[in-house]
Amino acid sequence: MNLNRLLLEGWSANPWVLGGCSVFTLLFARAFGTRARWRWLIAALAVVVLALLSPLAALADGVLFSAHMTQHILLLLIAPGLLLLALPRAFTLRVAHPLARRLPLLGWAAGIGAMWFWHAPALCNAAAVSGPVRALQTLSLLALGTLFWWPILAPAERDRLLPGHGVAYLFTACLGCSALGMILTLTPVEICSVYQAPLAASQPWADFRGLFSAQHDRQIGGLLMWIPMCSVYVAAIMLELSRWHGAPAAAEELSS
Amino acid sequence: MNHAAAAPAGSLGPELSGEAVRAHWRLAWLSTVDHKRIGILYLLFAFLFFVIGGLEALFIRLQLAVPNNTLVGPDTFNALFTMHGTTMIFLVAMPALFGLANYFVPLMIGARDMAFPRLNALSVWLIPLGAALLHFSIFTGMPKVGWFAYAPLSETPYNPELGVEYWILALIVLGIGSVATAVNLIATVLCLRAPGMTLRRVPLFVWINFVNSFIVVFALPVLNAGLVMLLLDRQFGTSFFLDREGGSAVLWQHIFWAFGHPEVYILALPAFAIVSEVVPVFSRKPIFGYEFVALSSVAIALLSFAVWAHHMFTIGLGRAADTFFVIASMLIAIPTGVKVLNWTATMFRGRIRLTVAMKYAIAFVIQFTLGGLSGVTHASAALDWQTKNSYYLVAHFHYVAVGGVVFAVLAGLEYWFPKISGRMLSERLGNWTFWLMTVGFNATFGIQHVLGFVGMPRRVYTYPDFTHWGWMNLVSTVGACLMAAAGLVLAYNLLRSLRRGTSAGDNPWQGWTLEWATSSPPPAHNFVALPPLRSRRPLWDSAHPEQPDPPVGPSGPLLIPDRGKTSVWTLIASEAAFFGTLLFAFIYLNLSPHSGREAAFSLDLKMTGIFSLFLFSSSFTLWRAEAAEARGHRAGTLGWLGLTIGLGVVFLAGQAMEYVLLYREGAVLQSKLFWSSFYLVTGFHGFHVFAGLIALLIVFGLIAGGRFAGRRSPLVAIGLYWHFVDIVWVFVLATVYFLPRFL
Amino acid sequence: MNGESGSIFSPASPAAHAISDLFSITLWICAAIFAIVAGLVGYSLVRYRWREGVGEPAQVSGHFKLEIVWTVIPFAIVLLLFVLTLPAMEVADPPAPPEPDLIVIGHQWWWEIRSPKLGYITANEIHIPVGVPVSIRLDTADVLHEFWVPRLTRKLTTVPGASNHLSLQADEPGIYQGVCSEFCGTQHAWMRFEVIAESPAEFETWVQHQRQAAPPPPTADAARGQQLFREMTCVNCHAIKGVGGDSNAGPDLTHLGSRRFLGAGLMPNTPENLRLWLTDPPAVKPGVLMPNFKLTDEQLNHLLAYLETLQ
Repeated sequence: MNLNRLLLEGWSANPWVLGGCSVFTLLFARAFGTRARWRWLIAALAVVVLALLSPLAALADGVLFSAHMTQHILLLLIAPGLLLLALPRAFTLRVAHPLARRLPLLGWAAGIGAMWFWHAPALCNAAAVSGPVRALQTLSLLALGTLFWWPILAPAERDRLLPGHGVAYLFTACLGCSALGMILTLTPVEICSVYQAPLAASQPWADFRGLFSAQHDRQIGGLLMWIPMCSVYVAAIMLELSRWHGAPAAAEELSS
Repeated sequence: MNHAAAAPAGSLGPELSGEAVRAHWRLAWLSTVDHKRIGILYLLFAFLFFVIGGLEALFIRLQLAVPNNTLVGPDTFNALFTMHGTTMIFLVAMPALFGLANYFVPLMIGARDMAFPRLNALSVWLIPLGAALLHFSIFTGMPKVGWFAYAPLSETPYNPELGVEYWILALIVLGIGSVATAVNLIATVLCLRAPGMTLRRVPLFVWINFVNSFIVVFALPVLNAGLVMLLLDRQFGTSFFLDREGGSAVLWQHIFWAFGHPEVYILALPAFAIVSEVVPVFSRKPIFGYEFVALSSVAIALLSFAVWAHHMFTIGLGRAADTFFVIASMLIAIPTGVKVLNWTATMFRGRIRLTVAMKYAIAFVIQFTLGGLSGVTHASAALDWQTKNSYYLVAHFHYVAVGGVVFAVLAGLEYWFPKISGRMLSERLGNWTFWLMTVGFNATFGIQHVLGFVGMPRRVYTYPDFTHWGWMNLVSTVGACLMAAAGLVLAYNLLRSLRRGTSAGDNPWQGWTLEWATSSPPPAHNFVALPPLRSRRPLWDSAHPEQPDPPVGPSGPLLIPDRGKTSVWTLIASEAAFFGTLLFAFIYLNLSPHSGREAAFSLDLKMTGIFSLFLFSSSFTLWRAEAAEARGHRAGTLGWLGLTIGLGVVFLAGQAMEYVLLYREGAVLQSKLFWSSFYLVTGFHGFHVFAGLIALLIVFGLIAGGRFAGRRSPLVAIGLYWHFVDIVWVFVLATVYFLPRFL
Repeated sequence: MNGESGSIFSPASPAAHAISDLFSITLWICAAIFAIVAGLVGYSLVRYRWREGVGEPAQVSGHFKLEIVWTVIPFAIVLLLFVLTLPAMEVADPPAPPEPDLIVIGHQWWWEIRSPKLGYITANEIHIPVGVPVSIRLDTADVLHEFWVPRLTRKLTTVPGASNHLSLQADEPGIYQGVCSEFCGTQHAWMRFEVIAESPAEFETWVQHQRQAAPPPPTADAARGQQLFREMTCVNCHAIKGVGGDSNAGPDLTHLGSRRFLGAGLMPNTPENLRLWLTDPPAVKPGVLMPNFKLTDEQLNHLLAYLETLQ
């Protein structure tokens, strides 16, 4: 286990990821230009790079379940939130469709569903071994994460939930993820057997498996989903309420 | 219950003439639905049990005064500390805090009463019922298992006496009462605010009690779920928490502390609420950083649910879990610290009036800071591995619970007694109480930190004559006696001032919140007229028209949610916590290799599927009934409603049939952990369907009888509950019927 | 029992040292925080008292930057404490070896100590060689108990059906107080034990002695006592190596006489106390699972004569 080597050589230059990020940045620039809040976008891209190209990604590649879980949290919870913050302040979706009113319900289901769905044992394993499934997983996590954060972090006030509803939205989402985290932490259930299976000789970071015992690795994965993830939701709840207290006129009431 | 008492009182109500009240004052108190009287009842019950719990504490300390003492035997001692803990938490602290909230939340928001006055009366009378159940154990052998009742010690093989059953039943009753109070408080704050009282303007006392009510709503049902399982273990031979059939003693601790840690904040937050009112008034300044005090309360409430495992650092959860819960637990120190600093900053550059109430509040700040800091040392797992279950821990939580909560309640009592009674308490006697209490408290518990360091474990009925142990324990006991003396002086002060205290006037402390804008005591209807509400301190604005507070937000009409729906949503939240706990327990238990979960393959999915369809379609028919009612179509409403009830009955019949078939195959509650947990989850769901059916039948009858002619019935609110029960069934199906097949 | 109980601030093992050092740092940090809060409160009390005739103070209602500062600083302190905690946890909670040196089993209300490697069984007294880490597996025969030796090691619960592991080491020879710290029923108070750390040579001698079977009764009285031990159902709960009994419901008596205390710390192991115990155990230790066998004086004398040979 050579940590220095991992930190230096664990990076990859996956053309798909680099290409995807570049194309997305170009599109974003075309659409919003200087109105976009670029600092947030750079942060979002940095998180994506961290999740997909860094040594973390190298370890998530069948070596450590906890690394895989970190990757998920970054892709589902952090990057999409930063992305929405990068949108211009006045940006709003001009959708008159009645479904738009149901968007929060959809977003909530997307946020929780993505986490549970991709941790069904078969899918978790498939994503770990098959390239296309992994790509699908990555894209869906980013997309569903964006959908989840929209009712909270949308730039325009009218797209956002009332603060009280927002708090309930985030709190129940936190419970939804904690439930899975608790089960992973406190019980011997095994959902990603890939992280127990012997590693191919070609896997360069195989020895990092020894960092934690299999049980610890799984527990750390569950705990990541439980404690840090909930901390993100709690921070968002704080943001939601401080926005409410800071609001000059509108959103006078918590809920209706 | 309240009804039965109310019936003979006939026309007695809050508005009747003074003469009639005097004539029937006993009945008037028994049947009251007035939030102020109920608040006083809460406080009286709290005081009564404070005396009992205090005497228990005194006997504990007397037994421990010297080494190898034999004043009380081991079993008596163990019963004493069990009763002391249970009494102080459930019969003293919670009633006292609920009592103050009951009395002052409606007043502070300019309301006439609580949202559900009769429910309020039920809640308060559940306290003597719970207390009676608990103390009935005197005749059957007292519970000797600690207020935490760790399995397997609390199980029949190790504690066969019925005392534990009475303890369980008492806690279930008190838990239900607490949830009802919390639902009531939430609905009151959301739905009964006076015009202009926006949620951003409510006093911190209201806001923090509002936030706290949500903790109650989520935490108490978790305990009740665990208690029910323990009762099944003891009375019906299941083994949820017994190792012999794959049950788990650790599961009890998870459930207990998932309730127990939030419970700490259920006690602490209302104490913060009181101090956040007292400190500003006697510093003659608004609270420093209102928003930060308000938000940090929310942060505490949320975090309180994510840190329970720090009570289990020594049970071997593994290093990974320990590490995460160290940081999570330490995080709570931040919002708590923010509060302490804000109270301090409120005093800074104020004009501090050192009344007895203020003295208690200041002592609270100091002592709570100490308790909080020793709490941080417990959050550090490595330190906890040494100090847990030692007297250092006893000292820590008494600094929070007595130095914090009790001192805050005393501050609140000194502050609000003039409002409640119309008479001032004696400051001279108050000072005696304060100093006896403060010296006594710190003597009792300060030295216990050191006793913990030198290795004295808690819950021991006696101890060896090690160097220094004897005198330190004696100091602690002497301190306890001083506290008892403080209690006597306090009681005398209260009684004396009720008889001949000087008249208080409306606003003796020049307070700024609405309770001071009415007479002392307030009339039955609370207010004659309210001052204009533009800021958080309406009475400051009235008294200082030359420099009023800057207005907080605009003063448009309030958006007031529907009272019925609000309460049902809150109830649903608490039911969700209950079922969440049961389902978590189901998964936890059935992951054990001894659970016999392979029996899940013998479940008849086809039959279950069919009767589930009936339940799900009942949600659809109920929706149609609601739509018909919205159109004012009574026959349609009744038709769809009748159909809904029919579908629900078919579901229950299907479930009964399933039970009968399983019973014939020998799959009974006791047979295997899988079956125990199967009946636990499905049985409780069935029970909720049954309750929903009763509610629907009542509404059906009332609508048919034309009770709601031209008005909306509570159908929509009850409908919410019915839909919720259906959704729970989706989770039950997935968890109980399908999940075990994949494990 | 009397003498020194020992304190967590007089550590005698690497693990206890790590915790005690962390505790000192933490207490200093806490003391500093407390001094700031108490100082501010005290200063305000002295400086800003209300006096008759003085008007209301300036109505300051908050300061945003200040709030941020005193949110961020505690956050930094918390992170610091967390980082400091990690190495102490590492030292105090080493990974469990596959085979433990000792198995310690909590009973209501005594401790059973088994050495699978060295082949001896004893009770309420753990002998270890100085300076060597001894790995322990903790089990329970009934309810939750908790193993705690303040000067040597962290506390850890014994959980039914789930073993826990800890490491015990003493840097100096001596007797270290241990106790059950989880409430476990009537006699939780008298579930004490001692850790006796000896030089390797002394420890070796002790082990050799413990492994021996009980000697044959030297006198007629003792022989009668041994017979009583078999006949009077003593063997149903107690074992004596070479004589009989395979139950661990009660302590193994093979080397009863070599132990310092009776009743898990209740009283010194003297012939008088042993007589007191045998006469009526529940009178000496109320709640104890051993009943009063209502022995006659003669039976008592014989049993005592025999038990005294079990050194």
